[in-house]
Amino acid sequence: MTGCEHAMSLRRLRLLPVAAAAFLLTSPALAHEQGDVGGGLAAGLLHPLTGADHLIAMVAVGIWGAQLGAPAIWVLPITFPLVMALGGVLGILHIPLPMPEIVIALSALVLGGAVALRLKLPFVAAAAIVAVFAIFHGHAHGAELPGSANPLAYGMGFVVATGLLHLCGITIGTLTRWPAGERVVQGLGAVIALLGGYFLIQSVGISV
Amino acid sequence: MKLRLTSGLIAAGLLFAQVSAAEAHIVAIRLGDFYAGALHPLTDLQDILLWLAMGLLAGSMGAARGRWLVLVFPLGLLAGLALGQTIGGIGANPAVDAAVAVVLGLLLAAAARVPTVLLCAIAIALAVLRGAANAGDLDPATNNLLFAAGLACAGYAAITLVMALTLVFRGPVADTSKASDASKAWRGIALRALGGWIAAIGLMMAGLAFAS
Repeated sequence: MTGCEHAMSLRRLRLLPVAAAAFLLTSPALAHEQGDVGGGLAAGLLHPLTGADHLIAMVAVGIWGAQLGAPAIWVLPITFPLVMALGGVLGILHIPLPMPEIVIALSALVLGGAVALRLKLPFVAAAAIVAVFAIFHGHAHGAELPGSANPLAYGMGFVVATGLLHLCGITIGTLTRWPAGERVVQGLGAVIALLGGYFLIQSVGISV
Repeated sequence: MKLRLTSGLIAAGLLFAQVSAAEAHIVAIRLGDFYAGALHPLTDLQDILLWLAMGLLAGSMGAARGRWLVLVFPLGLLAGLALGQTIGGIGANPAVDAAVAVVLGLLLAAAARVPTVLLCAIAIALAVLRGAANAGDLDPATNNLLFAAGLACAGYAAITLVMALTLVFRGPVADTSKASDASKAWRGIALRALGGWIAAIGLMMAGLAFAS
């Protein structure tokens, strides 16, 4: 029974590269009257990855969620994109938020610090902190969104990239099952906090 | 058996994705409008996102509720196409599409147990909307019957494939008392997270619609 299942999963695995290759090799279909979908998708996917401050904060969110355990680890990936999209809408409509650069840098500092100290906040408090930062991160993305090649493609790419960053963080967070892994995760949190501190000094230096 | 089903589905999906390569030849032949109708929705991001969301939602509810959509969704597309042709210019409203994406995404993210009737009603509404939107690009030279047949076939194939894949991924809804609960719980959460993503994309679409 288990052997059969094992063989099945193996064969499925073997199918995957074929499927991926076939999808990558398909030529883009009919020209539709939408803007540059490929460009928009690529820009949206890459945007969260190229901004270091955003990248480390998103990974930290995932790690912290994994550290906090049961409700946070699955509530986070479900609700975070939504809250961030709310911030994104504010950004699209150009409703200004106070000191966006500083808060974003602060988010990496605070979240990294929480991971490093293994801060066990009550779920509601942790969710509130993460939600505030999510709105600011979304705002930064939303403000850049309408100018891109295809706005819908950009939005899709950016939501997917952010979700995958959380997944990275959660995966890293599962290291906490082992005592040595827990040290590694805390070290990572400290690095993220340090980077956040660096970005904070930078943004204060620019804005003051 | 299950493997055959999966590989069959993958193969069907591949064939479907590869159709574009043949498109240049077939347009010149009489059945060209069939392929135009079948491919048209697949070249539109809005259609892809919304159809995917619908299939995921229906699939996450289990086969008993979802299977009605196999019939209802293509018929809705046909109705929408006919409606769009007679009235015209009602379909392609980004704000409405965004609202639908948000609703579908939130339902999926909340793992709401939508009654079958309501699920079918949502599917019909979505299909009519998208059918009407696809009617917007019909020109007088197109053979409407062939285009409609192509569109209905694409709708049937897409919704059935997405639902079937979701069902296979999710596993049967009914038996929750098995030992392999942990992996199943994670699969459910992955689906719900996808719902969160879809709703987030819908929110952004709404923002764009109001900004422009």
